This record gives sequence, structure tokens and C-alpha cells, in this order.
Amino acid sequence: MMHRHTQPTVHPVQHIDFIKPHVFDVTEDVRLLWMKDVPNDTVRLDLFFDAGIIRGDKSIPAIVHSLLFSGTATKSSVEIHESIDALGGFLDTDLSFETAVVSIYCLRENLDKIALLVGEAINGLSFRESEVEDTLRSMGQKFRENQQKVRNVSQQQFRRLLFESHEDYSTLAQVSDFDEVNYTAMKHYFKDHYLNGLTRITLVGNVEQDSVDALIDLFGKWAVDCQPVFGKSFETTQKRNHFLVDGAVQTAIRMGKMMFPKNHPDYIGFQFLNTILGDYFGSRLMSNIREDKGYTYGIGSVIMELHNDGYFVIVTEVGKDVTEATLIEIQFELKRLQEEPVSGEELDLVRNYMLGQLLKSADGPYAMLDMYNSVDMYGIDLGFYDRAIAEIRAMQPERLQELAKTHLNWEDFLIVTAG
Amino acid sequence: MIAFNRFKLDNGLTVIHHLDPTTPIAVVNTLYDVGARDESEDRTGFAHLFEHLMFGGSVNIPDFDAPLQFAGGESNAFTSNDITNYYDTLPVQNIETALWLESDRMLSLAFTKKSLEVQRNVVIEEFKQRYLNQPYGDVWLELRPLAYREHPYKWATIGKEIKHIEEAEMDDVKAFFKAHYHPANAILCVAGNISLEKTTELVNKWFGDIPASLKPERMLPREPLQKEYREKIIERAVPNDAFYYAFKMPERRSFEYYVADIISDALGREKSSRLYGKLKKELKLVTSINAYITGSMDEGLLVIDGKLSDGVTFEQLETALWETLDELNAHPMSDEEAARLLIKIRTAKEFQEQGLLNRAMNLCIYELLGDANGVNEENTLYQSITAKQIQELGKTMLRRENCSVLRVKAIQA
Repeated sequence: MMHRHTQPTVHPVQHIDFIKPHVFDVTEDVRLLWMKDVPNDTVRLDLFFDAGIIRGDKSIPAIVHSLLFSGTATKSSVEIHESIDALGGFLDTDLSFETAVVSIYCLRENLDKIALLVGEAINGLSFRESEVEDTLRSMGQKFRENQQKVRNVSQQQFRRLLFESHEDYSTLAQVSDFDEVNYTAMKHYFKDHYLNGLTRITLVGNVEQDSVDALIDLFGKWAVDCQPVFGKSFETTQKRNHFLVDGAVQTAIRMGKMMFPKNHPDYIGFQFLNTILGDYFGSRLMSNIREDKGYTYGIGSVIMELHNDGYFVIVTEVGKDVTEATLIEIQFELKRLQEEPVSGEELDLVRNYMLGQLLKSADGPYAMLDMYNSVDMYGIDLGFYDRAIAEIRAMQPERLQELAKTHLNWEDFLIVTAG
Repeated sequence: MIAFNRFKLDNGLTVIHHLDPTTPIAVVNTLYDVGARDESEDRTGFAHLFEHLMFGGSVNIPDFDAPLQFAGGESNAFTSNDITNYYDTLPVQNIETALWLESDRMLSLAFTKKSLEVQRNVVIEEFKQRYLNQPYGDVWLELRPLAYREHPYKWATIGKEIKHIEEAEMDDVKAFFKAHYHPANAILCVAGNISLEKTTELVNKWFGDIPASLKPERMLPREPLQKEYREKIIERAVPNDAFYYAFKMPERRSFEYYVADIISDALGREKSSRLYGKLKKELKLVTSINAYITGSMDEGLLVIDGKLSDGVTFEQLETALWETLDELNAHPMSDEEAARLLIKIRTAKEFQEQGLLNRAMNLCIYELLGDANGVNEENTLYQSITAKQIQELGKTMLRRENCSVLRVKAIQA
């Protein structure tokens, strides 16, 4: 007999297999991680460099990152891309705070050749004048465009104020960065942070051991000489700042605070609390501010990880007339977590949801490698996830309330609005 | 090769089953054959607003998301001019929860006043966030009515204007549901480590008793053949001048659709493409340039868009752009270039097919086109395309009389 009013029996996730990649030492400080068990012909190769935004000023990290495939003494950028495209390769590059990544997606039969082309392009990067100018022109234009986006302005200013105690973490790009070309600075930066900046190689693909050895030979010569050093003990003094964006019909809000690194004993518990607050569709911020009030298309919160630290941030864009009303509701939700225990029903829902998401995050070799990487980067082993499962299963309302009282005090937050 | 089974319930629901024993996660994908093209011109944005309402509780279940999250899953949806697609991913042992939820909202919605009021606001904020509060955000609101005169592709999925969303009434919502949300107008895909027998049993259990309705007949106005070069210039407070060249292209079900897709790749998909090499790298007229297709079911658009470098005029661009297009029409593509485009398509497809959700969606979309197995024939179709076919379609498609140009002139705020 079926009852449309009653949910079919739910079986919580019991067990998740976490698979460790094969690990090879490229040098004392640099390793290659390889997930071999892939049931098809696809391959992804990622090269990690100690070339994040914090490693230079005047947007040099972003500019050099954009120029990686801009040509060598013998090949133009178009020729480089033609040769990689002819092998069906897709290049992707990503630049974040503390890391720069170059990724190659291809079929396994083409990996060896594409890796050689990528090696040649980066090794021989010659900073051709016309290419540099073209890249700076595009970046300058994109920068001006981004300055009109409230989301972008709030993100930049939030970062500047949150990390104000560390210059390298808080320096913002200026439009003038893209007007003047400093070849010497670019070349130095490139040599230090790419040709001597490789920190890690990851590979997903059912390739031969010979290919892996070849990658180590090819890219190993770019390895860093010693472990890079990252910032810690950040201090924020600002509380509330507004930045004007002409003509905006919405206001972007970013509010947050410094937290702790991933190996902190509160990390997993706080992740649970963060899920309840703002990290899934049914979260309290979404239920209140989107689904009840209709102030926004979306609102969320997230814990951002740094090598030696971490921060927590709530992000949204709301109608400009409801900015203050939104902040009042956020304050209300933070307070509610501190004052009222979470109900058994909500606790079970979030528990099951988090375990389901963890299962999904470990599904397949690509996801599993990312999962491994996201702990190994911070010197943590796969046991982290078994501990996470145990902690999620055992979570109690009192513990959540305690965490909220410690970490979600309204007066500790930096609030940045743009609009 | 994506293996699948297909069956139909008595009430008209088409079901596709795809077994993947390698994953602990399952997908339930439900495609409804309704999109913004099925709206009336004075009630645009409705298909998309309706997608939001589908999460506001159904006749027997007050909240859609909570039970799914309790089962360890999550859900989302998207609306296009052609279709509305809903998808749930969750641990396979709880797949019945997804079928329970999807079947109840196919049976009937709760139609609460509160849900309509709130989602109207949410969609209006979405309108602002995506279309009004971004530089160049409103170009598609301008380009569509320039390229289409009769066909409902002349308005965007979000709607022509905010007013239409503000004015949506409960009676409209109910009528829309009745016409479009029923088994005969839907394709359901169940994918994951679940047998055909179990799938058949569960789908029958939850969807079997939903009353049948007739599939609505689609009678859209046919877009008259374009015979003139159309141009429009708008002034906006943006940092740089931008351009959008839109060419009418063959409909989704035709072989030429795939040819047009290759042409767009050749022109502006990668950094080895013709427009990128010529207009950006060689002539330095633009800071960015792309070519792509809208992927529409009916006669769609091949679009070339980009931004001018400082000091370059629209006229300079115009000349160089047409020279590049005429070049493609004048000479057959070299084997080398064709091979480069085709291996990219093959590689991209291998990556797309890794994801269970992608497979489930594509099976539904191809079933809507006529046969789910089309997903397995797509690559062969692409690989069969000849230089001659490319040149022939280029000649009919990449012409001024088939083109609508929108220019955005940057002015001070």
C-alpha cells in the first residue's frame, strides 16, 4: 500500500570507500599523485605552482599566469594552441590566493604529446611584445568591466579589509597595473614562481607507468627548492564598510571573519554548523531570506581554506532597498543558533544530507583525487574523512550551540557592502 | 556507448532506465516538454517562474527539498526557451524518495499563495542580478527581438520585462500546470545502480496512477524568412563597445544543425579559431571574441560576440569580420583544421559522458528529439561532416541578409 503523505524509508549512508592515489616523490618537497583506476579514456593532469595572487604586486601574478601559453621564441600563441587542439587537448588555468594551477584534459592516447607541448610552451615562454600587449589590453578591459559588478567589488574590498594585517594578502589590483609593462618584473616572477615553482602534480587517468615517469622527468625540473611559506595570524580591525557602485539596482553583501586552519579540532563541527546556517538549499539563510522574504535569488555561507588559516564568509546580492533588512535577518539567524538548540529533525536532516554529499564527493576517480588533494594540501591524511563521518554521526545540539557561541558572534564580523 | 532501456506507462509517461553499477549515487531526471516558447506574448517569463513554484510543495508533500535532503540528496532545475528540466541526485538506496517527490509534483502542486508571492520576488531579484545589474547583462533582451519577429524565441526565458512576472496570478499558474505538467508531456530518466525490474516496479508504483492528459499540440508561429541585414545600436554605461552578430541557423533535428555547430567552432571556440587568430591576435581589433550556437529546437542562432579594443570603430570590425566569414565560404576547410575541430568534439564528449547526471539529461533530451539512442550516434554524425557540407551551409548561413547585429556603444554613466 502506498501513502503519498509518507516518505519512503530512508537508509542513511553507512560507509564510504576513500581511495588513496599512488604517490611518487618528484623531489623531497614535491610529489605526484596518480589515480589510475579510470574506466574510460579520459585523463586530467594538474600542475600546481607556488604562484598565487599573494606572490606579487601590481597584478604580476595574474598577468604572468595569463601569459603562460603566449608564445616562445619559435612559436606564436596561436601555433601553440593549434598544436594542442590538434591533439584534442583542453587547457584550463586557475589562479587563487595561494596557488596557481595549469590543467590539461585529454584522451589518454594523447597525454604524452600534449605534456611535451605544454612543457615546451612554458619552458620557452618569451614574453613576445605583441602578445603581452594584447593580454594586458584584454585584462585591463575585463578589470574595468568587473569594477561595475557589485559582487566583484564587494569580494575585492572584503578581502582587502579582512587581510589588512598582511600586505601580500590584501593588495588589490589597480587599473594602472595593466597600462604599464614591466618586462623585468614579469620575467623574474616567472622564473621564481613557475620555472622554480612547481609544488605538486596530480594525474587522473588509466595511463602507463612510462607516461608517469615521463611527466616526472618533464616537469620535475620546475620543482620548488623548499616548502613555500604562507601567511598566518591575520588580524582584522574594520567592522562595516560600504562601497559605491553607480547605477546598481542590487547591493552585494559579504560578511565574514577569520576562523582556523583545516586541522583545527572545531573544523568538522563548524562545517556542520555552517551547513545548517547557509551551505545548502534548505539552509536557514536560504529559508528565511530567499524562501520566506524573497529578498534575494541566493544566499550562502562557506568556510574558505588557506594553508595556515581559514575564514568564514556569508555572500549574497539583494534588492538595494532591503540591504538593512537582510542584515537584520542574518543577525537574527546567527543569534538563533547561539540561543536555541537545533531540533532533532533538522539535525537528522543535515546529518543525512552531509553524509550523502560526502558520498557524492568521493564518487569516481576524479572526485576522489580532488578529495584527497583537499586534505593532503594541508598535510592531513585520508583519516580526516573517517573522523568527519564519525563526528557528523555523533553531532549533538549542545555541541552546535557551543560552536555558535564561540564562532558566530555578530560583533566579530567584518561587513562589506557594495552597491 | 550509453546503454539504456525504454518503456511507456499507460498514462503516457516515457521512462528511460540507465544502469551504472559503478556509482553509489543515482539520478532521477525529469524533462517537461515546455519552455518559454510556449508562453503567450503578454505573459512571458512564466515557464521559468513556474520552475521555481515546482519547489514550493506539492499536493501531498508540503516541502520538496527537505525530504530529499533527509535522504542525502539534492535537486535543481533549469528552464530554457524549449524545455524545463528537473534533476535529483541522491544515494541509490534512497532513490524511491526522489520518485515519490517527482511523482507527487507531477500529480499536482500545492498552489499556495505564499509560494507564488515569494517566488515572484525571487525571480525579480534573479532578473536584476543576471540581466540588469551586470554590464552587458541585458543584451539578450535586445538581441532576441531583433533576430526574431514572429517566433516566441523573440523573448528571453526570464521574460520580456519584470512587469509580466509581477502580474502573474494564481489562475495563470494553475492553467499552465494543467496544460503542460502531466505524464504525456514528460520524459523520466532513472539512472544508477538499479535494475530495470526495480525501476519498472517503482515507477509504476509512484507514477502509474497519475491521470493521463493529452499532450498539448504546439502551434508556434513560423519565423518568416529573413531577407534583410538588421542592425541596432544601444547605448549603455559599460566600459567598452561590444558587438553581437546573430545568424539564423538550422533547427535542432536537422543534420545541418551539427554542421553549423562545427562552423561556430571553426570561427570562435578556441584560441586556434579563425576569428580569434585574425581579429584578436593579428589585427588587434578586439579584446575578446567568441562564436557559439544557441542549441535551439526550432530555427536557432549562431552568434559571434566580442568587445572592441580601445580606439577601434564598429566599421573597422565590420570589414574584418565579414572578410573572415567570406573566407570560410570561399574555400573548403583544410583536412587539418577539420580534424582539429573533430577531435575536440570527441574528447569533450568523452568527458561529458563521465557524469551520470549528464548522461541522464542527454538521454532525455535525445528522447525528446525522437530517440534517446541519438546520444550514441551524435559523435558519428559529427565525424561524417565533410568540408563541402561546411562550405555549403556557410554560404547560405553566413550572409548579411541572414544576420542581425546588435551593437552596444559605451557611454559615460
